[in-house]
Amino acid sequence: MFSQDVKQKSKKAKYKILVVDDEPDLRPLFLQHMRRPIRSKTYDFVFAHDGFEALEKLKTEEGIDMVLSDINMPRMDGLTLLERIPEVSSEIKAVIVSAYGDMENIRVAMNRGAFDFITKPIDFKDLKITVKRTLDHIEEWRKAFEAREKLLLLQNELTVASMIQQSILPERFVTDGSYKLFGAMQPASNIGGDFFDVINLPNGKVGLVIADVSGKGVPAALFMMLSRTVLRSVTGNIEEPGEVLEVVNDQLHEDNESCMFVTMLYIVYDPNTNEFVYSSGGHDPPLLVRSDGSSVQLELTDGMALGIVPDLKYQQSSCTLNQGDSVVLYTDGVTEAINTDEEQLGIERVREAFKSKPAMSAKRSCNLVIELVEDFARGMPQFDDTTCLVLQCKELPAL
Amino acid sequence: MDIHTQRNNGTLIVKVESRRIDSSNARSFHANLEDAIQDDDTGLVLNFSNVSYISSAGMRVILSVLKVLQKKEAKFAICDMKDSVREVFNISGFDKIVNIRDSQDDALTVCAA
Repeated sequence: MFSQDVKQKSKKAKYKILVVDDEPDLRPLFLQHMRRPIRSKTYDFVFAHDGFEALEKLKTEEGIDMVLSDINMPRMDGLTLLERIPEVSSEIKAVIVSAYGDMENIRVAMNRGAFDFITKPIDFKDLKITVKRTLDHIEEWRKAFEAREKLLLLQNELTVASMIQQSILPERFVTDGSYKLFGAMQPASNIGGDFFDVINLPNGKVGLVIADVSGKGVPAALFMMLSRTVLRSVTGNIEEPGEVLEVVNDQLHEDNESCMFVTMLYIVYDPNTNEFVYSSGGHDPPLLVRSDGSSVQLELTDGMALGIVPDLKYQQSSCTLNQGDSVVLYTDGVTEAINTDEEQLGIERVREAFKSKPAMSAKRSCNLVIELVEDFARGMPQFDDTTCLVLQCKELPAL
Repeated sequence: MDIHTQRNNGTLIVKVESRRIDSSNARSFHANLEDAIQDDDTGLVLNFSNVSYISSAGMRVILSVLKVLQKKEAKFAICDMKDSVREVFNISGFDKIVNIRDSQDDALTVCAA
């Protein structure tokens, strides 16, 4: 028997059970009745003669899963042991062995956290069921714990992904002083599919982009990074916005098995002439806000969202800004924000907001839009990112 | 998401019962559509009369369904679109790749052609 015990330790069984009883005959009885699960390395048993020795075993023996304990023992009884098991580990479950009909002690044991009880004389058939039930419960608990750990890890990774996403958005908007820029993105969930970018072009012009990737979460975030990278690689060589979208569209279409797409508005602004040329790939057209607060939605250039159909032409259009004029770029998270009556915000409410507060800086215009959405959608869960980018020609002196 | 299906001469007609197709229900919309489409369907008509909003997640479902149908050379049309939804199709350029018809009968004609 002893040699078998030693062999068990050299090769680990799946579960280790600590049996606590001052009755010396119990040990051979146990090893006899449990020989099958012991041989198959399902159970391994360790023994202690009282609560005190049991606590020592729990502290020194690795990996004890459950305790099966008698109640009346010298030095430390089973009910005291129950109270002290959590000092070692909160994962260990205990089953109490009590005299038949000793309801008082059984109640105390259960109140002290015992998982179950069996009665003396031990019915080994019942004991096997009880042990299995206890270990199954432990297994379930461990699986749930593991799943929770994985979820936390994933949550952590999403937080990092969100930080990376936010960090690639421009934060400081440096210009030559003849114009001002400001942009902001409020993701609806941890990570979003919207982005904006400011690209300094070789000839002193500046490229502005705002985009919205289909769907949400990790797939949208990956496609967003891809779209931004492709766009940046193209704008260095090609200036015309329509041509830029054409090339980006073809590159995004390649290997796009997952049917992702991105709507994108690309603008090239010349600070010397105050003219800008824009092209839309399935994106809302820009809003031109005059210094008196009046506004007009610029015409939609007829272009399809990018990544869907290859070999498309993208039309472009142009517009010249006067001093104090702003171009407001936004994603549909702005216009399609819903309030508690399930009404959409719509572009008209954005225009009214500008009308009531004319001649604002690029930063205040951008914040006006973001705050308008926040106020409008208060109390409603938002499913879409809210993004706004504002270019203002020669900022007016502060009022 | 609830959809209601019927068939007319090999064309599957799917009436979308939800008012909104967005990221909260796009996945189930996609799954239900895929389940509804049979191998021998020669066309699909989506009846959008109840739909007042579709987000980009919903548009992605439309795009994947369109690709599946194109592969098996089946026709596809959407009918009874509200103005707000029609605008999303116009701006995104989807009106160029999807047949949009005012009535279900017109859409069925497209699929029968």
